[in-house]
Amino acid sequence: MQQLVNGLTIGSMFALIALGYTMVYGVMKLINFAHGDLVAGSSFVGLFVFSQMLGGEVSLFVVLGVFAFTIVAIALLGFTIERLAYRPLRTAPRLSAVVSALGASMVIQNGIMLLWGPQMHIFPELIPTIIWEVGGVVVSLMQVLIMVLSMILMVGLYLFVEKTKIGTAIRASAIDQDAARLMGINVNNIIVTIFLIGSSLGAVGGLFIGLYYRGITFNMGWQYGLYAFVAAIIGGIGNIPGAMLGGLLLGLFNAFIAGYISSTWADAFTFILLIVILIVRPTGILGERVAEKV
Amino acid sequence: MASSDLILTNVTKRFGGLVAVDDLSFHVQEGQIYGLIGPNGAGKTTVFNCITGIHPCEEGSIIWQGEEIRLLPTHKIVQLGIVRTFQTIRLFGQMSVAENVMSGRHIKSKQHWWNGIFHTPASRRDETENWQAVFELLEFFELRDYATHTVGSLPYGIQRRVEMARAMAVNPKLLILDEPAAGLNDNETLALIETIYKIREQGVTVLLIEHDMDLVMEVTEYLTVINFGRKIAEGTPSEIQENPAVIEAYLGSEDDDF
Amino acid sequence: MMKKIQHIAYPLFFIVMALLPALLDSRWLVVATTFVIFTIVALSQDIVLGKAGMFNMGQALFFGLGAYTTAVLNAKFGWPILATLPVAILIPAFFGILLAGPIIHLRGDYLLVATIGFNIVFVQAVQNNLGGITGGPNGIFGLDMLSFPGLASFEHFMPYYAALAALFFTLFVINNLESSMMGRALHYLREDDLAAGSIGINTRVHKIFAFAMGAGIAGMAGTMYANQYSAVSPEAFDFIQSVLFFSIVIVGGSSVPGILLGVFVMFVLPEIFREFATWRYFIFGFAMIFTMILRPRGIWPAKFGRIPKAFTEKGRENGQQ
Repeated sequence: MQQLVNGLTIGSMFALIALGYTMVYGVMKLINFAHGDLVAGSSFVGLFVFSQMLGGEVSLFVVLGVFAFTIVAIALLGFTIERLAYRPLRTAPRLSAVVSALGASMVIQNGIMLLWGPQMHIFPELIPTIIWEVGGVVVSLMQVLIMVLSMILMVGLYLFVEKTKIGTAIRASAIDQDAARLMGINVNNIIVTIFLIGSSLGAVGGLFIGLYYRGITFNMGWQYGLYAFVAAIIGGIGNIPGAMLGGLLLGLFNAFIAGYISSTWADAFTFILLIVILIVRPTGILGERVAEKV
Repeated sequence: MASSDLILTNVTKRFGGLVAVDDLSFHVQEGQIYGLIGPNGAGKTTVFNCITGIHPCEEGSIIWQGEEIRLLPTHKIVQLGIVRTFQTIRLFGQMSVAENVMSGRHIKSKQHWWNGIFHTPASRRDETENWQAVFELLEFFELRDYATHTVGSLPYGIQRRVEMARAMAVNPKLLILDEPAAGLNDNETLALIETIYKIREQGVTVLLIEHDMDLVMEVTEYLTVINFGRKIAEGTPSEIQENPAVIEAYLGSEDDDF
Repeated sequence: MMKKIQHIAYPLFFIVMALLPALLDSRWLVVATTFVIFTIVALSQDIVLGKAGMFNMGQALFFGLGAYTTAVLNAKFGWPILATLPVAILIPAFFGILLAGPIIHLRGDYLLVATIGFNIVFVQAVQNNLGGITGGPNGIFGLDMLSFPGLASFEHFMPYYAALAALFFTLFVINNLESSMMGRALHYLREDDLAAGSIGINTRVHKIFAFAMGAGIAGMAGTMYANQYSAVSPEAFDFIQSVLFFSIVIVGGSSVPGILLGVFVMFVLPEIFREFATWRYFIFGFAMIFTMILRPRGIWPAKFGRIPKAFTEKGRENGQQ
């Protein structure tokens, strides 16, 4: 039961990050390897904003400021990556975009290292440590906040994508970019929108990671990024509810492995699960099978 | 060994709810030049995809040399002697003409997998023999001068010849041509007709899809006409020309000069 | 023209490499040995990625399998290093077949992620001292060095020359591959998988062969690595290394000079310019982005036209790349 709470908390964070991957993959069929590093970057930016810009004293105003600044900064960074590393390669073969994504990932990850150094930093304690015990299970304020806020954001995104005009345009572009263009949708703008939204959600995820785990290092982007990507695949890549479901499921899976088997095997089991899914049901839980036309 | 006949019986292919090939049957005899024609979208290429195992059909039977080949994978069907060319030309674009034709020699080669790591006198001999065969084919198709050219940069008509040379390198018993005259001018089309006759003289059966009616009437001996995946007529070219159902099917479409 | 350059360049390269130890102190000898070993791994990666066109980002796994095979056989079972070499080639090759089998049909980016997954599972399994023989996070150390009777005075140079011999062997084998049906088949299926199948090539079998061959060669490099450091540890075979080998092949280009260039820039240059070392990946990241935009086939792309000279002299020369 304890693992359930832990799992859902971690899962919520995975889900937020996974949404960034799945939205980009849905429209551009590209694995945005740099996304995980954006998430890592957001932890560091949050740390920077708190200690250097807002004085280092905890208050509601400061916490909101940290979130606001970080989200804007990371969204801008995401926008820049799209412009510099992906847009010039729109018509290039897939492999080129993959390599460019890896390059962008390296740039950001090492940019963080060059700015903050290779050592671990401690993220400030912005949320007071309040713990409740409910029926033998320990729940912290942090966990509740993460789960609730993530849920709000995810529901918000779901409604946005399903009910608004822009959301419909996004879904159309994901199905067929050319057809969407012919319908008058400005696909370039849609792509920019996706990057902004995905990066913002990732930024929130990164801040949660900082708050929850406290220790942050420059190369944690790949760690969480890969996990989130696995979550996106499990749920069905390109599928927004899928990413949410996949994130939560993976969080639970991870927590149970760590709790009942051993945390040193968590990565291995997660990726074995990924490989099995890729072999048996590559479209994921909520994905659709699409026949490829010869 | 059974004669090299291709017999389709009640072949049906569905893509989800769409029936692309509907209960189709026809019989190609060894040594024939057989044509499969019909308006655009009639399902002709799909039939070829069924025969060659790219999109296996759900129902019916495809018999080749007396054996059922309906569910065999593509490369096995090629090993049994059936080779096809593509409507859109699928060559290995960044490689030379000679290497492209050499790919056709792949299943004729006697090399083993370990010859990819170590050569033996036998594998070296095999290499020489195959290159020899490639250059003989280049002569036959008048491609000698283009041997070292990158295929992707060559004119369309020459690429078509390369594709046919590659197909012939496999020494097929049945050659399936998907719109071989598409994009060719009149001279090239005449040359193509000559080539098809020469191929048949070497003992190869030819099955082709074509929209160029002059070519079809000239070169084929027997035709099956399909529309919406169903057979609407079969017969010799002159019989087909007078068949009212065929005329009606084509009057609807504007792209064939009948 | 290119063929003539090749006839001079290769022997020249090996003469220079053979004489190099005489000019280098022990620190630089280590760098040179690493350069040679990583070139072998990059060449093995090229077989799968450059020639066969498969998005393999787990080559460090096979490199590590070879290294650990040698380490375990030597440290736990007392095998001499030389004797471990064939096993260190065969076991990775075997795993190449085993792992490639179920994933080879996957689409490019899915295959990529699956290979990363295998790499991660391997590293963590090894870190957790699987079967009690892999030594945990610290790895295995205290290995013997490769030695030949009568050459004891040259022991200092042994790792370098052993690696160089392995490189020579690798280039020899790859050359054989390129002038064989198997090798050409890899190019065909990379260019157009459907067309390759349509002229009779069993693409699945050939793809698995490419994986196995790449794995075996990487395994051989692993033995050389274990020999050089007399130790193996899990971090050296982390999937981040795979990302590097992948990038070297793509950015440098699927050719021997391109790969040499890539390995040199990634591993030797940071040693020459120490300040450059911390910037290494940052700059390489930009290099990857710009190379893909400006030179998508790599800095020194592959050249085709391996047609026996006897035949090309009869054809016209223009048009050959």
